[in-house]
Amino acid sequence: MATNIPANLQYTKEHEWTLLSGDTVTIGITDFAQSSLGDIVFLEVPEVGSEIKSGSTFGVVESIKSVSDLYSPVTGEVIAKNTDVEASPDKINADAYGAWLIKVKVKNTDELKNLLSPAQYQEFCNTSH
Amino acid sequence: MTQLLRTHLYNEHVKLGAKIVPFAGWDMPVQYSSVKDEALAVRNSAGVFDVGHMGEFFLDGKDAEKFADYLVTNDILNASNGKAIYSPLCRENGTVVDDLIVYKLAPGRVMIVVNASNIEKDFNWMKSKHKGFDCTFVNKSNDYSLIALQGPKSFEILKTIIKDLPDLDYYSVFETAFDGQPVILARTGYTGEDGFEIFGSHTTVENAWKKLVAAKVVPCGLASRDVLRLEVCFPLYGHELNDEVNPYDAGLGWTVKGSKTNFIGKEILASKPAKYKLVKLELEKGIPREGYPVLNSALEVVGSVTSGSMSVVTGKGIALARIQIDKAPKDEVFLVDIRQKPYPAQLVKKPFVTGGHK
Repeated sequence: MATNIPANLQYTKEHEWTLLSGDTVTIGITDFAQSSLGDIVFLEVPEVGSEIKSGSTFGVVESIKSVSDLYSPVTGEVIAKNTDVEASPDKINADAYGAWLIKVKVKNTDELKNLLSPAQYQEFCNTSH
Repeated sequence: MTQLLRTHLYNEHVKLGAKIVPFAGWDMPVQYSSVKDEALAVRNSAGVFDVGHMGEFFLDGKDAEKFADYLVTNDILNASNGKAIYSPLCRENGTVVDDLIVYKLAPGRVMIVVNASNIEKDFNWMKSKHKGFDCTFVNKSNDYSLIALQGPKSFEILKTIIKDLPDLDYYSVFETAFDGQPVILARTGYTGEDGFEIFGSHTTVENAWKKLVAAKVVPCGLASRDVLRLEVCFPLYGHELNDEVNPYDAGLGWTVKGSKTNFIGKEILASKPAKYKLVKLELEKGIPREGYPVLNSALEVVGSVTSGSMSVVTGKGIALARIQIDKAPKDEVFLVDIRQKPYPAQLVKKPFVTGGHK
């Protein structure tokens, strides 16, 4: 599947994208993920101030016919959530990389070393469906 | 793992870019473009589904109607020729083997259409009851393809490819020709909209499919079909119906005709033995899914969702749910447990969406 994978981001095997800026990580789902899900109709993300843990689910994204968990690649405190996208989750279909979900203040930026580079993520998408 | 079956139209689906998934032992198109666009096409204009995986049984002979009438709970004998009748197929103990449609094609000629996942079970069950009836009983599922043209523009569109198409009543059937080949044309479907189901040989139905797609009818997959049937509250075997429940448990008491002389399950079903009731729930927030617990106002579990989705028409969460009758709340207050959080659900009496069929 042809898919859009920006070079400035890092990725997870659960099809999330991340952008690190200082000690803050912005998290969203990839173009591959939105395309696989189809029409996204519901998004549940944690409230600002809640703690999320690396490897744990932090929310849910639903299409008309499916429910998918969101997995956090980092441990830290949620400092912002995208209320626009929460109100209109179809924005993720329109622009997966513009429609960020949450921003997390991370405790240990070393956690991000395990993330996939754009090339690794492309390879991952090619081999898994 | 057994090899997945493919309908004759499989290559057409691949050409149209469909996403293919395993369903009831078949490789079936789940969606082509978007579930929402496909469902709305059926509500607003027309869509076409490949349902060639479904089963077709034929009863031919003097007792064809009598045999069908004995097998199912609904009244076949008193329906006119050319009518289609929806019915559960029950065991002696009242549990549901399958739900199906009986088509009275002509005197002494009946077609029964069954769910893909139940073809073998149904055929064996019916075959075991065949003795003593003067008619043949044959499974022709492999010889027939089936597509369903659904939506308010169905008649107008089908008329462009079948010139002498009569304006049949809803739930009617007749045998005609398409491209000089015999087809069975029924004004039935699984969406609540007007529409036609076209049964015929594989190549004949393939030609009809291609002509409809060329006429800009939107190809629709199983995902949109499921949303459409749920919006109009049609049950689906394996969800609202299964081997453990009887028609009354699934809100299908209206299909049990106790006035009939005899049919399988008559004795037990006469007492209307319901342990459950099927309710329609609508949620302003949250999307109910199959298996989610349904709660009363004290947050006690009283049942569970059998089918759930978001309605593409109303944008609300919609569900059919099986409630234990002895736990059904008198105040009719329901909540759905979605990921350990109770979401208020409104009990509704009418289908979530009113289909526009005749």
